[in-house]
Amino acid sequence: MRVVYDWRLSRVIGPDLNVIDELLWTSTRSSRAVADRLEGLQRGRMSPEARILTARFPEAIPDSMGHLDDSDWPALTGEEQQLLESAAAILARRGVADAAGNIDRRLDMLVSSQSELRSAWTTVEARCIEWAGLLLPTLDLDKERERIPVAIAESHDLAGTADLLGTDSPPHAPSGPEWRAIQETARRCIDISNSLKSSEEAIRSVAREYLPSLSRLVGPLGAAKLCVMAGGRERLARMPSGSIQVLGAHAAMAAHRRGAPPPKHGSVIFSMPQVSKSPRWVRGKIARFLAGKASIASRLDHFDGDPWSESDIEEIHRHSESIKQKFPTPPKRK
Amino acid sequence: MARYVSLGWGIRKERGGLWTRNAVRGTSVRGERRKRDGRVEWRKWDSHRSKVAAMLMRTKSDPSTLIPEPGSLCVYLGASSGSTVSHLHDHICGAGNHHDGKIIAVDISSRMMRDLVIMCETRPGIIPVLADARHPLSVAQYLQRKSDWLFQDLSMPDQAKSFIESTSKLLTEGGLGIISIKAASERWAPGGDEQHFDESESLINSASHLQIIERIDLRGLEDQHIAIVTRKV
Repeated sequence: MRVVYDWRLSRVIGPDLNVIDELLWTSTRSSRAVADRLEGLQRGRMSPEARILTARFPEAIPDSMGHLDDSDWPALTGEEQQLLESAAAILARRGVADAAGNIDRRLDMLVSSQSELRSAWTTVEARCIEWAGLLLPTLDLDKERERIPVAIAESHDLAGTADLLGTDSPPHAPSGPEWRAIQETARRCIDISNSLKSSEEAIRSVAREYLPSLSRLVGPLGAAKLCVMAGGRERLARMPSGSIQVLGAHAAMAAHRRGAPPPKHGSVIFSMPQVSKSPRWVRGKIARFLAGKASIASRLDHFDGDPWSESDIEEIHRHSESIKQKFPTPPKRK
Repeated sequence: MARYVSLGWGIRKERGGLWTRNAVRGTSVRGERRKRDGRVEWRKWDSHRSKVAAMLMRTKSDPSTLIPEPGSLCVYLGASSGSTVSHLHDHICGAGNHHDGKIIAVDISSRMMRDLVIMCETRPGIIPVLADARHPLSVAQYLQRKSDWLFQDLSMPDQAKSFIESTSKLLTEGGLGIISIKAASERWAPGGDEQHFDESESLINSASHLQIIERIDLRGLEDQHIAIVTRKV
C-alpha cells in the first residue's frame, strides 16, 4: 500500500493499484498558498492531506513521486493550471530574492570588485608615475612614488608639482589640455585607491562576522578570498586541506596535473607572511600545516563551532615558528 | 520550389537556419531577427546559441522526429535564461498557449531565473522552476503525469548519471529523452573529450529503460558538445 500525493490531492493506492482512500485539498486555493505547498513538497515534505492519510493507514508507505506512475491521476483543470503557473512564478521570484540574503554571493561581489579595483589601480598608478617621470627628469621616482599622484592632483600646473616634490621645474612644460589629462589620471588614481580602501573595509567587516576563526588565522581579506575561490563557505568547509593549500594558484595547479612542478606562489596560504617570509626549505611544511589549520577554522565557522581566540592563534603561530626552528639549514642536495 | 522545409507546426528550416513561429508577435527574446511571411511572424533560432537548434541542424535522421508535438508536456533541465525554451514554446504552446502545451523550465541559478521569470510573464505555458535539476523530486511536483519530451543541458559533472535518473522518474514510456553532454564539465581524464563522450554513451546504453537512437556531434556549432537522443522503453 502506498500514499501518493501532489499539491491538490492525496490517495492511498492498494496493491492492485486500486484507490482505497482519497483526500482533496478543499480550502480556498490562492497562488500564494499553492506556492507554499509546492515549496514544502519540493523539500520532500508531505502535503497535509498525505499526512492525514498516512495517519489513517499507518502501514501505507508515502511515495513522493508516485503520482507520476498512477495512470488515473487527474489532469489539471484550466483553473488549476493557472494557479500552478502563478505559484511557480511566485516561488521563482522568492528564490531570486532569497539569493540577496546569501552572504557567499555578497562576499563574491565584494571580493571580485576589490580585485578589479586593484588591477585598475596598478595600471593607473604606474601610468601616472611614468608620466611624471618623463616630464620631471630629475624626480626620484622610487622615493617619491606615493606622493606623486597627490602632488599632481593638488597643484595648478606641473611647475607647482615640481615645487611640492622639491625637484627641478619641467624643461618642457605641457600645454593646458595635456596638463589637465595628467591631472585627471592622478585624480583617478587617488579615487581608485580610496574606493579600494572602503571596499577592503567592507570585506573585513563581513569576513570577521561570517568567518571569525579563519579571519583570525589568515586575516579577514585572505579568509574572504579563500571563501570566494572555494565557491562558498560550505564548499570551503568541505574541502580537504590540500585543496585549501593551493586555492588561488589555479593555473599552476592545472599545469601541475599535466606534469609541471607543483604551485609555489599565488595561493592565499602562500602569501601569508608566516610562509612567504620563511626560508624556502620550510615553506612547504608550514604551508601544509597552516592549510590544515585553515581547514579546521573554516569548519568551525561553517558548522557553528566555538570560534578560535587570539591565544589559539598564537599557539598555531608558535608551532609554525617551531617548524622553522627544527629545520635551520637547507637540506643537502641529493 | 519550396524555400523552406517544415519541421512541424511552428518550426521551419531554411537555407540559413531555423525559424520558429513567434508566439509573442513583435518582440524578440534575445535580440534575434524576425521576419514576416504572410500573417505569420517568424523568429530566427540561432543554432550557435541553442543546443536544441544545433542538434536539429546536425542530425542525420529526420529532424522533425526529434521535436515534441504542439500541445505536449516537456521538461527542460538547465533552461538558463530561456532563449531555447522560448523557441520550444513558440512551437509547443503557440500564441496565448492555444495548443495547451506545457514546458517545465528548470534551472539552479537565481541569476538566470530572474530573466526566465520575466520571459514567462508573456509566454503562458512555461513554468519556471528554481531548483537543482539533479533532484527529480523538485521537478515532479509540477507534473501530473510523466512528460513526453525531456531535454537535459547541465554543465555539471556526472551529467549522464543524472540524465538516467531523471528520465526514469520524469519521462513517459515512448517519450524522447535528449541529453547534451559537455566534455569540459566532466573531471579531467586521460583520453580527452572523446573518452568522456564514449563513457557517457555507454553509461546511458547500460540503462535498461533507455534506448539510444542517435549520437549527434555538435562540433562547429557548439564545440566540445554532443547530443544523445534516446527513447524510453
